[in-house]
Amino acid sequence: MSDRYAGLYLHVPFCTRVCPYCDFAVRTGDAEKRRSYIEALLEEIDLHAGTAPTFDTIYFGGGTPSCLEPDDLGRVVARLRARLSTVEDPWIFLEANPEDVTPRRAAAWKRIGVRTVSLGVQSFDADELAFLGRGHSPGQARDAIRVCRETGFHTVSIDLIYGLPGQTTDTWHRRLDAAIETEPDHLACYQLTIHDGTRFALLERRGELTQLQDDGQAAVFRATHEHLNAAGYAGYEVAAFAIDPGHRSRHNRKYWNHTPYLGLGPSAHSFDGSTRWWNHRTMDPWQQAIERGKKPIDNAETLSRRDLLLETLMTGLRTYRGIDTADIRRRFGTDLLATNAELVERLHANGLVKRHASRLIPTLDGLAVADSLAAMFRL
Amino acid sequence: MSNIRNFCIIAHIDHGKSTLADRLIQLCGAVEDRKFRDQILDSMDIERERGITIKSNTITLDYTAKDGQQYQLNLIDTPGHVDFSHEVRRSLMSCEGALLLVDASQGVEAQTVANLYLALEYDLELVPVINKIDLPAADIDRVKDEIEKDLGLDPDEAVCCSAKLGQGIEDVLEAIVTKLPAPQRDTGAPTRALVFDAQYDPYRGVVLYCRVKEGSLRPGQTIRFMNSGKEHTLEEVGRLRLTRAPQKTLEAGEVGYLLAGIKTVRDVAIGDTLTDGSNPAPEPLAGYKKAKPVVFSSIYPMASDDYPELVKALDKLVLNDAALTFEKDSSAALGYGFRCGFLGLLHLEVVQERLQREYGLSLLLSAPSVRYHVVLENGETVSVDNPSYYPDPSTIAGAEEPFIKGSVMIPERYIGTVMELCRERRGENIQFNYLAQKRVELTAELPLAEVLFDFYDRLKSSTQGYGSFDYEVLDYRPTDLVKIDILVNGEPVDALAQLAHRERARLRALHYCDRLAENIPKHQFKIAIQGAIGGKIIARSNIQALRKDVTAKCYGGDITRKRKLLEKQKEGKKRMKTVGAVDIPQDAFVAVLKTDTDS
Repeated sequence: MSDRYAGLYLHVPFCTRVCPYCDFAVRTGDAEKRRSYIEALLEEIDLHAGTAPTFDTIYFGGGTPSCLEPDDLGRVVARLRARLSTVEDPWIFLEANPEDVTPRRAAAWKRIGVRTVSLGVQSFDADELAFLGRGHSPGQARDAIRVCRETGFHTVSIDLIYGLPGQTTDTWHRRLDAAIETEPDHLACYQLTIHDGTRFALLERRGELTQLQDDGQAAVFRATHEHLNAAGYAGYEVAAFAIDPGHRSRHNRKYWNHTPYLGLGPSAHSFDGSTRWWNHRTMDPWQQAIERGKKPIDNAETLSRRDLLLETLMTGLRTYRGIDTADIRRRFGTDLLATNAELVERLHANGLVKRHASRLIPTLDGLAVADSLAAMFRL
Repeated sequence: MSNIRNFCIIAHIDHGKSTLADRLIQLCGAVEDRKFRDQILDSMDIERERGITIKSNTITLDYTAKDGQQYQLNLIDTPGHVDFSHEVRRSLMSCEGALLLVDASQGVEAQTVANLYLALEYDLELVPVINKIDLPAADIDRVKDEIEKDLGLDPDEAVCCSAKLGQGIEDVLEAIVTKLPAPQRDTGAPTRALVFDAQYDPYRGVVLYCRVKEGSLRPGQTIRFMNSGKEHTLEEVGRLRLTRAPQKTLEAGEVGYLLAGIKTVRDVAIGDTLTDGSNPAPEPLAGYKKAKPVVFSSIYPMASDDYPELVKALDKLVLNDAALTFEKDSSAALGYGFRCGFLGLLHLEVVQERLQREYGLSLLLSAPSVRYHVVLENGETVSVDNPSYYPDPSTIAGAEEPFIKGSVMIPERYIGTVMELCRERRGENIQFNYLAQKRVELTAELPLAEVLFDFYDRLKSSTQGYGSFDYEVLDYRPTDLVKIDILVNGEPVDALAQLAHRERARLRALHYCDRLAENIPKHQFKIAIQGAIGGKIIARSNIQALRKDVTAKCYGGDITRKRKLLEKQKEGKKRMKTVGAVDIPQDAFVAVLKTDTDS
């Protein structure tokens, strides 16, 4: 079921440094570049004036939005509220690097209306942070969390990366405990994935970096969920955990349930319920299109019934709620329990899904292979 | 007519037969130098690439000898591999003499001996030719000694040459003229001609190659195949230059071609005798043996959509490969295909390669099998070459499998190794006799099924390349035959079933299980791969369940990218064969069915 209001995503393509595992559209850029980016972003907002739906979430992602001046962020939010339709009090999310967090900045973010700060902590271990090429120490991470807490944001979320080479469930338990001690409201735990074109991919090809094998990955995945659930952080998606339902991300869920969203900034994706389009991936073509008064769209696709159904399975099976076959039957006219009876039976017998009324709910083992579960269904 | 010589060159593989033929053709000026290419008689790509001759070929050469007279030399090129010995036989039957070619460094090999016996069987006059005398390792004295002791031929008659360098070629030609007999001439008797080969010409239909033994052939004549009784009207006769050269007649003693509007080589029994329909001879020519397939395998197209293409390709292929047999077959795992019969493993490989190369097909072949005789409790005997048709074991009283007599020639020091190999392959009655120069001929009676799987490779590697091998089919002998089923999650994969001797079954099954386990990707559940005889499991291999494949990041709103990855996964599954809820990629079948590293 879609949400009532749409989501708005703003991509900030700048980082002070590029992490060796990152394949997002990011760059390091000087002050001039950043200024011209802000101007272009403001103009892109204008291009959507009058046509966009009403938004109740505004998400600054990246890249590193926290490396922008709070004043610039403020101008963007003001322009959004002036030109686009938003609810009275939209929920603003900000991704931030610990080293960018100061009491003064945090207070400025709060004034703009930021309610969730998502801190790119990644690890509380100095060696791991060095391996990941991060610019902060474990102490800085703790300080940043404390500052955010004291500033009074509704939700303080931290990102962690696991499944590092050589990691065992033991060492990972210790890292998780360190995270739990800082009492965040929300955790996003990403398993290290090596993408083509990143520095880690290069190291892997040279044999200088070895990823965890299937079994090792499965073990730390399981450990993450079991350990956090036991500590009171209830999982609700493969990578997301919240201390209570009120702290779950109300923005990300829009991606999972086919709620429309508008993405602004280089590489950002948008969806209106049937068509998905995406902006030019890099700064220059994105900016040039805007300067010519055109939406900086690289390409678009219209989703077929089958595409939408596959996405529904794909995103649904990544969540603790699973998929609702009754809802799918209403939306797509397909009764999965009938068309895939044998498969459902087999997945159930192998302990990968549970059935609850009309829902198919992945077990922890099922969540671990959610991607291939979705591909198994005959649509 | 006394100026005609019909001859062929027989040799062990690689002793330089095609190169010698090239030089004879060049020296007789049958082809301009600028049009010349090596292995000129080998027309198929595979022949040139592998350096082997698969199809017989024939050419007429004009040679002015030292005695001042002009001679018509008909060279009938023969295949060098044991699989094609039926073609060699037919070629020999068309000749009065043969050059027995021996490599000056390798000396007499297994096929040299086998070919000698064949030639003697047809009463051919033989001239030994020692080739490759330019090689540093050439040892003419030793080879002459072998020719005398191993072959029983007069070493002083031997002609030495280097076909590669063109040395001694004239001596070879002179020997053909002076030492080989002219054909007997009986033009008055009713016509009898031996059909020793056929090729397909897309414009003219079947081209028959024949040797006229008695009488004559001319256009307009009604010819009759004496065994099949079919009649045709002769359209054209002629000699085989590099292209066809029409003549008014083909007389007794001559070798040439004929065209008679025949549509497919299927209609022609090669080896049959042609006679004049209006004045038939009382008896066909004697001595012809029909080629029988001994190795069987099912051929499936990789993509089941390609089945109609496979049908077309096979129909065309048999136009000039009369030895290949095929009939429809189907497999639950692999779809529709054909059960094919081959003369041997090389023949199988050649057919596979021609189908893939000349017709652009991607194919899968089931494990090669021999033809077994299965005796049922009710006394009936059935032939089984396809595991799918193996009778219910409870009705079987016994089984027999084909045996061959294998002959291996090796330097003395390898006796132990080769005897061991023969024993391991269930060889019986292993004997050896010493030849000249510390060499040994070892003979053994072996099940053909054991020779099919990498026997020759093993022989070559365990004798550092010195061992040479030749065989002939002997008879059927009792065997303890079982059918091995390969089960994936309890369901049999029919295309992988095979028949084997009980003692060899476990190893074979293990090999299959391991190969499958290596090549089937992990699934969301554990997969058991088993080899079984009846209900009894004899081998097992497991594939652990996939434990983790979810990528934790969900890329902001970029759901498209993730969906496309899934689409790819789903696309991949379509190309797999599903057995017992397990998706088996084609690669896995290919890996399993490859015989090169069979244990």
